[in-house]
Amino acid sequence: MSVIIVSSDSYEKGRQIADKTAKAVGYKVVDPEILGPVAARYGILEANLRKALEETPSLLGISSKSQSLYLAYIEEATLSRLSGDNVVCHGLGAHLYVLGVSHVFKVRILADPQELQRQLVSAKGVTPEKALKLVKRGESRRKQWSLSAYGKDETDPSLYDMVIRLSEVSPDEAVRTIAETISQGRFKTMTYSVKCMKEKELASKVRAALLDHFPEVRVRADGSTVIVTTKGLKREKRKREEAIKILAGKIQGVKQVEVNVVNDIFRQAAESFR
Amino acid sequence: MSKRLNVMLLDDEPIVCKRLQPALEKLGFEVDTFTQSVEAMHQIQQTAYDIIITDLKMKEIDGMRFLEEAKKRHPQSEVIVITGFATMETAKQSFQKGVFDFIAKPFKLSEIQEVVTRAAAKLRGGAA
Repeated sequence: MSVIIVSSDSYEKGRQIADKTAKAVGYKVVDPEILGPVAARYGILEANLRKALEETPSLLGISSKSQSLYLAYIEEATLSRLSGDNVVCHGLGAHLYVLGVSHVFKVRILADPQELQRQLVSAKGVTPEKALKLVKRGESRRKQWSLSAYGKDETDPSLYDMVIRLSEVSPDEAVRTIAETISQGRFKTMTYSVKCMKEKELASKVRAALLDHFPEVRVRADGSTVIVTTKGLKREKRKREEAIKILAGKIQGVKQVEVNVVNDIFRQAAESFR
Repeated sequence: MSKRLNVMLLDDEPIVCKRLQPALEKLGFEVDTFTQSVEAMHQIQQTAYDIIITDLKMKEIDGMRFLEEAKKRHPQSEVIVITGFATMETAKQSFQKGVFDFIAKPFKLSEIQEVVTRAAAKLRGGAA
């Protein structure tokens, strides 16, 4: 069982490579089709989930708090699907939060910039120079988004196990290379790597349940124990611990909840001036 | 009738050997246990084990060096690492050295039994 995560500077190219790879190796695809069910589950608009995946927070656009919450919902839904069968995932930002799991193979597809330029000229009727500017603006926007959402630059090649440039290699050759790499067994599961993935899934479920009430919360899992870290004042500590334990304890798979309330020095300072 | 597969179990905590040995013998394996890595190292010079289960952090010869030597001597042996100090780095390192699986302690007996059964199936499938 392996997981292939495809990331690209062009959504269409990423989707094309992901779909072809899944067909070539007989894997399922996990892609933005899951956003509809996720939106329905949380009673929010699917369009808002897409905004969270595409837009950097701004005054007139999506807020930081909303983006954080919606991305937590998307992460939870994605991770629960990645824990299962052989899967190819794209379009859900998974390359930025599925980290350090040895059976996950992360591939970055770089579209041919000249082809993107030609497509823009054709689709938008702009000059080649303007099209190139639009391509570069798109790259910059994606980089800003990944830094804002996850503190990581998604254009950094060190995030990936393989980078393929479609200006040098055809899509079919790219698919063959990915399929061959997977067939060599380098990214097969180990009991420990499966455990790590399940822990990430559990932590994401708890975080999704807590984030609306505790926007600063961080969660990690160790087996069926979840460790939650949040900020608060000393006088709130017990109340926060209790509230978090109740919410987190309801999540299936959680047997124990440990809560660390870190002193919120900014709020403490603000209160001391009153 | 297929021959019983032999298993070497190496862990410097005697309780691990004490619990695992009967659990594996119940599945039909012949199990030799060792708590000293030096002794186990001498043993693999003479005996080819089908399956080797080894801890990582041990005195004298650590598990990583042991498994390297085991795979060098008997490439067909399937090695399973069990460790209380699991990190993704050591898991990847072990995997690159050819281990069959890598399990973090604490684990359930059923987990290790399942992994050993899969290793045995792979050996038997390869021998067929």
